[in-house]
Amino acid sequence: MIDLFAITDDPAPPLPTVAPLSAVASHGLALVCAPAAHVEVSPEVLWRHEEVVEALMEDRDLLPVRFGTRLDDETAAARALGERHEELASALDRVRGAVELSVRVLGERSGEADADLPDPVTGAEYLRAKAASAAGERSAVRSVHEPLAARARDSKRLAARDRHELLRAAYLVDRSAVEPFAEQVSRLQHANPRLRLLCTGPWPPYSFTGE
Amino acid sequence: MSNAIVEREVALIDLLDRLLGGGVVIAGDITLAAADVDLVYVSLRALIASVATAEEKGMLPRMGSAL
Repeated sequence: MIDLFAITDDPAPPLPTVAPLSAVASHGLALVCAPAAHVEVSPEVLWRHEEVVEALMEDRDLLPVRFGTRLDDETAAARALGERHEELASALDRVRGAVELSVRVLGERSGEADADLPDPVTGAEYLRAKAASAAGERSAVRSVHEPLAARARDSKRLAARDRHELLRAAYLVDRSAVEPFAEQVSRLQHANPRLRLLCTGPWPPYSFTGE
Repeated sequence: MSNAIVEREVALIDLLDRLLGGGVVIAGDITLAAADVDLVYVSLRALIASVATAEEKGMLPRMGSAL
């Protein structure tokens, strides 16, 4: 069995030595894989996978493959590439020269200045909390997401998983524009002191693979 | 908790979004079923909760330092 990491152009620069990688080529694309190893999922295993994809990202464009994808052998990998090569080649073209940046915005929901407010118990309280929550989101979108999206090649809002999170988003940014983007994040943080902006990256373009 | 560890855990949330929810889907033996993905989120909830605690205590950098 082999684990899959990423789809790149073929030919591509020599593979990094961070893992026992091999590349299966078909139709001008290459699927980078390694002998299957882990089974348990832990932060260490996820970071290890990420380290391999980031090493590849240093000197080539790529489409990262969903973590945990495993095929029988290299013949199956070549077949998988061949079956979808046109779609995959256009997806690779869309992220060419770009990386992904993550921005999350944490903040108090409007009208909820006191963080120790009890959970709403009556219907009216529930509706007020819900309206305040929607207002907080709209404000974060207007003051943070829209200016950042205007600077990015593409952007995507992801589902928030926490009630203090007003925005969770991914931005596809040209490699040369990463620094100006980070400066823009800093400016937006200064302009919105009641919000907390958390920006990480550059990541491989996981959120822009066309799925 | 040191700032370096907190930053890594902030980035872990972003890593989960990407590795488990993004990337090209290729039909194969997916070692991680949807139920397993949920389990990963559950098992890492304690970790993420500890990040929230650190945020309340103002231990997190104000902006972009993980970048």
